[in-house]
Amino acid sequence: MANPLKCSVCDAVATVHLTQIVQGKVTKVDFCEACAAKGGAGDAAVFKLADAVNAVTPAPAITCPQCGFTDVEFRRRGRLGCPSCWQVFGVALGGLLTKVQHEIQHVGRAPAGTIPVGQLRHRLLAAQQELTAAIAAEDYETAAKLRDEVARITTQLDTL
Amino acid sequence: MSVQEILADENELTHLLGAQQAVVLSTRVRLARNLEGFPFPGWAKPAHRKEIAERCIEALTQLPRFRKSHVFKMGDLPDLDRAVLVERHLVSKELASGKSGAAVISRDQTCSVMVNEEDHLRIQVVKAGWHLRGTWNIAEQLDDAIGATLGIAFSDQLGFLTACPTNVGTGLRASAMVHLPGLCLAGHIEKVTRALSQDGLAVRGWLGEGTEAAGNIFQISNQQTLGLSEDAILRHLGGWVKTLVDQEWNARRKVAQEEGERFVDRLSRSLGLLRHARLLTSAESMNMLSHLRLACDMGCLPEERRHVVDRLMIEGQPAHVQARQGAELDSDGRDRRRATAVREALRDFPEVGSPTA
Repeated sequence: MANPLKCSVCDAVATVHLTQIVQGKVTKVDFCEACAAKGGAGDAAVFKLADAVNAVTPAPAITCPQCGFTDVEFRRRGRLGCPSCWQVFGVALGGLLTKVQHEIQHVGRAPAGTIPVGQLRHRLLAAQQELTAAIAAEDYETAAKLRDEVARITTQLDTL
Repeated sequence: MSVQEILADENELTHLLGAQQAVVLSTRVRLARNLEGFPFPGWAKPAHRKEIAERCIEALTQLPRFRKSHVFKMGDLPDLDRAVLVERHLVSKELASGKSGAAVISRDQTCSVMVNEEDHLRIQVVKAGWHLRGTWNIAEQLDDAIGATLGIAFSDQLGFLTACPTNVGTGLRASAMVHLPGLCLAGHIEKVTRALSQDGLAVRGWLGEGTEAAGNIFQISNQQTLGLSEDAILRHLGGWVKTLVDQEWNARRKVAQEEGERFVDRLSRSLGLLRHARLLTSAESMNMLSHLRLACDMGCLPEERRHVVDRLMIEGQPAHVQARQGAELDSDGRDRRRATAVREALRDFPEVGSPTA
């Protein structure tokens, strides 16, 4: 999915993109329409706003040792640099992930030839809940099947 | 290897007589995958991107499903050819706009893999009509076959690792292309769109993100990719599509009943216009063809004509019109060429009758 650039002031989708070149130094900044209007897009005032924004852009706090991608870069692009970035920026991404995905644990498939741990954990939780419900409903036949399933998945996960 | 072959070859969406269905035009499944140990395409240096493309293309072309496949490197293709692939949904606009992307497309055009789009691999499977499980099964097999030869980036906690947080986890985007003239005519479409978005589904126009719903055609897809199993994602989409199909039929029947002769008149006028126009814009032909599709679904025209309408919708797009002509055309030239093709295809269409469905 295409991920638009974010406004440098308020994180909304940026539709105004400015490039300023002063004595060979290129500065790029992106604004949403509202922030651009505040700064008066198209005249000198907006470049003052751009200068102010660029002045407060923090130095990178996290850098991926694998690919050199930084947290500053992530805020600009909304995408990561390489698969290892997920581990490096994991904590910082936690909040964002809950915002865009509502969940933080994968419960689907795994690559061919590997054990789908996420899927197994997910099924284990569900089977445990179903087991409690079956016992409460005195449906011992179902409960016995679920107990076996819980034991089987637990062993499978323990051997990893 | 040329895009002309893509146009000429018999394929899933324009030639499969009988596979077309009322309401749902096509089902699509897309999986985002990346190679372990390589930067994502947007951050990779050109040399890395080249290596990624070579590895992926080599692995893909060895798979049985991609025997005698088309391999297109975006950098080698003229603008018009790339636009044809975008209009067919075989590649995305993003892939077509860059130079380092490539696409491997199966002979029947059901399966296509984009290489170096936002992710290293975007596996896509499309089927005419509504076949969610069948489409998914092919995608799953393809994913396993690819995963067996290429090391895929994956974590137990986050699933398949993707460049964008909106795809991480399953990397799965499942979608249905639906034709909703009844809900549009009845004025319910905004309400329906709102309900779908509130329940986590995205509604887009015919050509995906940011496009208008030309011809009353909408693309419905899941948004969440993490914390749900593939099965749950498919069931959620499937449930809504079923509801949507029912509501669309209710709306169609109600409109047909309330409007009576006017309903048939509306469809009949569209057929007349398409049959006699000398200049047809893309938007106008899409909207008129939408009426013909509705007429085929409702028994006002023979159902076996529906595939002709579907083909005209695809082949009436600007790049397709020009590719058929074999030359770039200005706006009037395209409208003239489109009108001629439509006129010829509809020449032996019978008159529009009263609805039977």
